[in-house]
Amino acid sequence: MKQINRGLSEKQIGYLLVLPALLIIVVIAIWPVLRSFWISLHDVRLNNPAKTKIHYQHGVDVEKVAEIYPVLTKNLEEASNQADGETKAQVGAILQQLEEMKARLDANKDFAAKYEKVDELLFEGEPVPEDLKFASLDQKTGEEVKKQLTLVQAQLQKLTDQKQLKEDTALGLARGLNGALISPNFIGINYYIQLLQNQRLWDSLNNTLVFTVISVFLELVFGLLIALLINRHFVGRGLVRAAVLVPWAIPTVVSALMWKFMFDGQNGIMAKFFELIGIVPDMGLLLTTKAGSMFAVIFADVWKTTPFMALLLLAGLQTIPSSLYEAAEVDGASKVQQFFRITLPLLKSTILVALLFRTLDAFRVFDLIYVLTGGGPANSTETISIYAYKTMFAQMNFGEGSALSVIVFICVAIISIIFVKLLGADLVSDSRER
Amino acid sequence: MQKRTGPVFYILLAGFLVVIMFPFFWQFIASIKPPSELFGEKAFHFITQNPSLENYERVFTQRPFLTYMWNSMVVSTLTTLYCIVVASFAAFAIARLNFKGKTFILGIVLAVSMFPQIATIAPIFMFLQSVDLTNSYLGLIIPYTTFALPLAIWNLTTFYRKIPSDLEEAAKIDGASVMQTFRKVFLPLAMPGTFTTAILVFIAAWNEFLFSLTINTEENLKTVPVGIALFQGQYTIPWGEIAAASVIVTIPLVIMVLIFQRRIISGITAGAVKE
Repeated sequence: MKQINRGLSEKQIGYLLVLPALLIIVVIAIWPVLRSFWISLHDVRLNNPAKTKIHYQHGVDVEKVAEIYPVLTKNLEEASNQADGETKAQVGAILQQLEEMKARLDANKDFAAKYEKVDELLFEGEPVPEDLKFASLDQKTGEEVKKQLTLVQAQLQKLTDQKQLKEDTALGLARGLNGALISPNFIGINYYIQLLQNQRLWDSLNNTLVFTVISVFLELVFGLLIALLINRHFVGRGLVRAAVLVPWAIPTVVSALMWKFMFDGQNGIMAKFFELIGIVPDMGLLLTTKAGSMFAVIFADVWKTTPFMALLLLAGLQTIPSSLYEAAEVDGASKVQQFFRITLPLLKSTILVALLFRTLDAFRVFDLIYVLTGGGPANSTETISIYAYKTMFAQMNFGEGSALSVIVFICVAIISIIFVKLLGADLVSDSRER
Repeated sequence: MQKRTGPVFYILLAGFLVVIMFPFFWQFIASIKPPSELFGEKAFHFITQNPSLENYERVFTQRPFLTYMWNSMVVSTLTTLYCIVVASFAAFAIARLNFKGKTFILGIVLAVSMFPQIATIAPIFMFLQSVDLTNSYLGLIIPYTTFALPLAIWNLTTFYRKIPSDLEEAAKIDGASVMQTFRKVFLPLAMPGTFTTAILVFIAAWNEFLFSLTINTEENLKTVPVGIALFQGQYTIPWGEIAAASVIVTIPLVIMVLIFQRRIISGITAGAVKE
């Protein structure tokens, strides 16, 4: 080991040491973001078996066909025997189309071989192995089969609607068979076009923006005031600093639940307090009105993160040499002048860094709102992250949800770029080198 | 800057502390109130006549709260350990070795730490599902890396940069290789910083919600935040139990914060404030 290291230059060792971390970051963070974008160009739905992943090719669910096709044809034969005249002819035609479709599928050797095996397995009641379940089709077959099955389904729908069939199981079976077909689900930027015309997106962006701007602004003001307040020697300083850390350290979920309890419209003590001092006319309105619930989430966020802001700014304040203030004192500068001429300019880069981190955190807010209001009432506190989450995990629409998460990503990127421009290269440069 | 401390200062300070501490105080009161006193007239009473530990008992007997704690512990500890190891090498190299592109690499690390979780969750979820890792510890440790590793690298780099270079030069003169210098000089000197970073990473992993909520949905694999958040049923919210669980989660944190406050503060401010 040592000998190898001696043989490598410092530069090579440097790359070698960074490599594991870099690889992990690329695989686990950068690839998923690119992949999110790719998914957002496809119609991916986890609750639709034919769309659970991205499909580049036409394909068919062999197991499903083997399950449904024999039953459907048998069902139709029976229906044909029972019916007469016009209906009999129609059912016969449908049956013929189905057989044609099956023949077309059988022309695909891969399908034919798999079908035979799956059929046997199903007959014996044994599970079908994963590699036999799907067969891919060429584009022409895929499209033709799809067309035929859609036609069959439409005709059966018509017959069922006219009540010319004794049983209506055939229609359900045809639908199932149609669902066995897998088409490429690339849809381009359709989701983005749809979303940009969707008022819900703009509302959620607006909510996110309102939440971010107000809460970060309040956190900065209160954080600065607190930092100025505790930037001195006093009894119990350590204890105060520890107390400041506690809201920062507890899980956001826990703080959200604490506030939800205190904001409760009937038994919440803070809601009662707000009613007493006249912030809300009635305590029940706090979490049931648009403005009230936005106020509630912002309040809870400011409570939790102002301490973090104060600590950052306090550390910045402590780097300002006291000789500057002494000199200003001698020159007869007032406290206010000292604050605007010395403190603020020297604190600028700390403030910007703190603002950058806080703005991004606030913009991607999820836990707090998910627990405190769930995005309600009537989506009035629904931020873009909540919207994306609901689309993905409540509607199981991963394509559209990914498009939303890409929009979050782009917003975050834009915010970062603005801040980094303001900060210059200061953020990542090595202070030793300056 | 006013450095004198007068009564006005202490009044302001007390006001500030009340605002910070009140929610915890109120949770504690709620946790020892019998359920009937959480509603109605007595809901606003500051003291209860019939304190009981019923809520605490129920958290542990009616709900798998110990399992949640254990899951959180395992996932957070493993995430912290492996991220700190990987990040230590990277941080040492970025802070102490000369090679092209290291500023760029640090830039990537910082950028990734700003990634919104929601932007990575779909592919990660689909991947974990396809390899059958949802509802497992590994299923959380893998996605937790997305925020834990950049955080660790970023913090450790600032700590490694602060180590004075005289010792490094002395070791070089004595003929130590780069790796020997790392092991014998930097690792021991960076111990405090490493420990601080470990605390921060652990807290971040312990508090994580979105990945845990979506990936581990089985009751016996949920973590504490998700477990508590899902205490509430369809129509009722068991506030007493939630309060008891919150108190149980908060107490170890308060103790930890009291012991390590200096380290934690140096960790939070590292990298954000240039000295």
